[in-house]
Amino acid sequence: MKVPRRSARQKNLQKDAEKEEAINLLEQKENTEEVVERSKDEETAVEEENFVESPVVSDDDDEDFSDDDGSLGESGSEDSHLSGEEDVFVSSDGEDSFDAKSDDVSGNGASGSGRDETEHGKDDDAESDDSRTVVEESDSSEDEVDPRNTVGDVPLKWYKEEEHIGYDLAGKKIKKKERQDKLDSFLASVDDSKNWRKIYDEYNDEEVELTKEEVKVIKRLLKGKAPHADFDPHAPYVDWFSWDDSKHPLSSAPEPKRRFIPSKWESKKVVQYVRAIRKGLIKFDEKPKEEPSAYLLWGDDSSAIDRQGLAYIPAPKPKLPGHEESYNPSLEYIPTQEEINSYQLMFEEDRPKFIPKRFTSLRNVPAYEKAVNENFGRCLDLYLCPRARKKRINIDPESLKPKLPSRKDLRPYPTSCYLEYKGHKGPVVSISTESTGQWIASGSSDGTVRIWEVETGRCIRIWELGESVSHVSWNPLPERPILAVCMGEDVYLLNTGLGNAEEQKSLEELLRVETPSTPDDSDNDKTAVNWVQDDKHGGIRLKHFKTVSSVEWHRKGDYFSMLMPSDILHLI
Amino acid sequence: MAGMDIDGNVEEAARRVQVRFVTKLKAPFKAPPSSIAIPSNLTRLGLSSIVNNLLKAGKDDWNPEPFDFLIDGELVRMSLEEFLLAKGISAEKILEIEYIRAVAPRKEEEPSLHDDWVSAVDGSNSKFVLTGCYDGFGRIWKAAGSCTHLLEGHTDAITSVCVVKPRVAQNGADQIVATASKDRTLRLWKFDADESSDQIKRIRAFKILHGHNASVQSVAANPAGDMVCSGSWDSQIALWQASGSDTGDVVSVKKRKKNADEEDPQVEEEAKSTLVGHTQCVSSVVWSQDETIYSASWDHTIRRWDVEMGKDSLNLYCDKVVNCLDVGGEGSSLIAAGGSDPVLRIWDPRKPGSSAPVYQFSSHSSWISACKWHEKSWFHLVSASYDGKVMLWDLRTAWPLAVIDTHKDKVLCVDWWKGESVISGGADSKLCISSDVCVL
Repeated sequence: MKVPRRSARQKNLQKDAEKEEAINLLEQKENTEEVVERSKDEETAVEEENFVESPVVSDDDDEDFSDDDGSLGESGSEDSHLSGEEDVFVSSDGEDSFDAKSDDVSGNGASGSGRDETEHGKDDDAESDDSRTVVEESDSSEDEVDPRNTVGDVPLKWYKEEEHIGYDLAGKKIKKKERQDKLDSFLASVDDSKNWRKIYDEYNDEEVELTKEEVKVIKRLLKGKAPHADFDPHAPYVDWFSWDDSKHPLSSAPEPKRRFIPSKWESKKVVQYVRAIRKGLIKFDEKPKEEPSAYLLWGDDSSAIDRQGLAYIPAPKPKLPGHEESYNPSLEYIPTQEEINSYQLMFEEDRPKFIPKRFTSLRNVPAYEKAVNENFGRCLDLYLCPRARKKRINIDPESLKPKLPSRKDLRPYPTSCYLEYKGHKGPVVSISTESTGQWIASGSSDGTVRIWEVETGRCIRIWELGESVSHVSWNPLPERPILAVCMGEDVYLLNTGLGNAEEQKSLEELLRVETPSTPDDSDNDKTAVNWVQDDKHGGIRLKHFKTVSSVEWHRKGDYFSMLMPSDILHLI
Repeated sequence: MAGMDIDGNVEEAARRVQVRFVTKLKAPFKAPPSSIAIPSNLTRLGLSSIVNNLLKAGKDDWNPEPFDFLIDGELVRMSLEEFLLAKGISAEKILEIEYIRAVAPRKEEEPSLHDDWVSAVDGSNSKFVLTGCYDGFGRIWKAAGSCTHLLEGHTDAITSVCVVKPRVAQNGADQIVATASKDRTLRLWKFDADESSDQIKRIRAFKILHGHNASVQSVAANPAGDMVCSGSWDSQIALWQASGSDTGDVVSVKKRKKNADEEDPQVEEEAKSTLVGHTQCVSSVVWSQDETIYSASWDHTIRRWDVEMGKDSLNLYCDKVVNCLDVGGEGSSLIAAGGSDPVLRIWDPRKPGSSAPVYQFSSHSSWISACKWHEKSWFHLVSASYDGKVMLWDLRTAWPLAVIDTHKDKVLCVDWWKGESVISGGADSKLCISSDVCVL
């Protein structure tokens, strides 16, 4: 039933198979099918020989499967594998692994001598392969080859004591094979040159002989290479995608607007760069400074100053030793005894620090007795040396003296009396100028207060207060020409009457409003001040209990303070 | 005539120079233009006597006249020899000496007495002299000692006076004068300068200018005579309409003040505009041209204002407080100012790059209270000082031409009158007139 179908296939596929020796993995499926047929064909041919020649493998009678496989050939195997057979062709998945191997076989198949072993091994290998795949690919492994043993993935020691190794598909026990004598097997293995290729499959209780190809594959795997020799891991990359603009773009959406608008962020960035360039933060064509890889260890340090700036002072370096410091200097360096004596006469500072001596060999040179001293001195030198450059300017000290200014330049200072304000009959005790500078007020001990015109020295107004005036002070506000006068125990606030009509009016009100408060204040004996209206002089009289010596206005002209000798300051 | 000796005792050793006297003076003062040899140690007095002798030779009834001598535009103030040496002028050539009549008052008029200090005087109209007084009255004087009008109305001392339209209104019928006072007002007065009566006529102001916040210190009228400006202690310069009462009436009928005994309408008016910029009292203003006002202030500056713009176009800094200011001299552009020191300074604002005074006259011994350029001369000016002296100056020499010492106290104001008299008022309540000054 199956045969014709397969033969039809065979016909179709066989042509291709002959042509393609190197089969691409991508086309595996077709090939595998074909190969299977072919391998089967070959099997039929080889199987007879196998049957004769290798009893070792196929002498098992108790196992149906092996019998079928060996004696009946293709048809027999076909029968026994009926259920599985169908699956073989249907499930491509499972077949791949099988057929790949058989394909290998077919590829190398021409080797005549190892044909049966190869064939047999292949078969077993299929099983071993199956067993391997049982572990790896559990879903398809069952269908792949006939699993003789169906115990599954259980520890085999469970069957160690038993006579069978498991169960076949029908549920029958698979009997353990009869153990060969160790000696026999040893002898057999010695005789058989291919014995090293045989391995024992414990699961199925049989020996498997690996084909050469399989060994090769194993070897390749052990080396870490791809299992198949013709698989090139570094095959040239074929770029299947065409990067050229295709006629029809993948997306037909119109170009978004932002592709056409210049980016704001970018322009900001550009502005930033432009500014940086303008400020000189970014410089072009600037070659990196070449740092000399080597420098003079004992060289002059003047160049170091350039490097580190003006303030840097390199540490002083000791004088290099010369010929005279040598342990064996030339004779001319060695001072004579007279010279050494003359050194003693010199001042200690002038004496040479080092007197050359001669030693015949380096071994005779004694320890340098001043080593510690000199080290210490040098340390002190390094430590105490001020590492900052002091800026000294040579200045003639005479030039630092301030020049005496000429008297003319020192003006204004009073040099001559231009104006006299004549009129007071007693000593003038206090004067005060009005804020605009138009008027000057003076208080005299003759009991008068006078206001003068500054410009001409004309007396504008006189108050006869009768008592010696101790202090006068103008209100600092120009629109409030009030004069505060200290006189004995009183302070007068005088309306000078210099403002214009409106100011005068407000002033009079200001100076009169205080009047009602007078009785209130006078009732209280404790208050320091009594406010009394003084109509005669046009102002207010503030009576105190002690002598007032000074009066001073607040800057804003609203308040004034008085000073009494009793150290009480009154603010009103 | 050549080689004539003035004095017989002139030493023969004295060097002689060949001179020729020239003059621009008219006939009686013309000397013969021949050159003569004179001793080089002669001073101004000697030169003057030579010229007088020369003139006397031509004319028998000759009254000796003082002369002043100019060599190369400079007044001779030392001996001729020293002068030539100092100026580096060669004595070998014939020296041309120009002589002019000495500028000095030859006559002192009787002082005109006031009731109080005379604070201001204006002689810009040749028909009368206007004075302001500390008693608050302005006075019009026809001549020395003859007061014709009394301007009454101010409640405080008058600080400054000026004659409005001095040249235009020559007929005198409606002569307008302005006075500034410490009572914060300015008043404009109108009177007939030609009328003559034995009695002193009292007149009232036809216009009262309110607006200043402090004492008005000075007043000046513009050349056209329709505006006055005033400087005040409130640091402002105010411009006022000075022309007739017609506009004033319209503007402020409501403010009309009725006095019981006076039928004259008095119009109150406010300032047209103010020039703000000074920080201290504006002590003096001068309205020299139609668009230019000069002002001096106690803030040590002298400013030139553009009336149209209302801004100052020039700002001269002076070391001292400036009290008085006048503009005149060459091209009417030199600024003379005096202040709180005895130095009369003259600036030339046309001189670029420098604000230093070009002339300084320092013969006074106290503050200078007033200074005035001569109207016609480019060189002459008069100054008054608190030391009681009035001095006449010529730009061509550093010494005063003449010192008028008639005042007993501070001189507060001075002016020229009729081009040949100096009028001055002072703290001795006198108005002194020194005539026959002979400028030009």
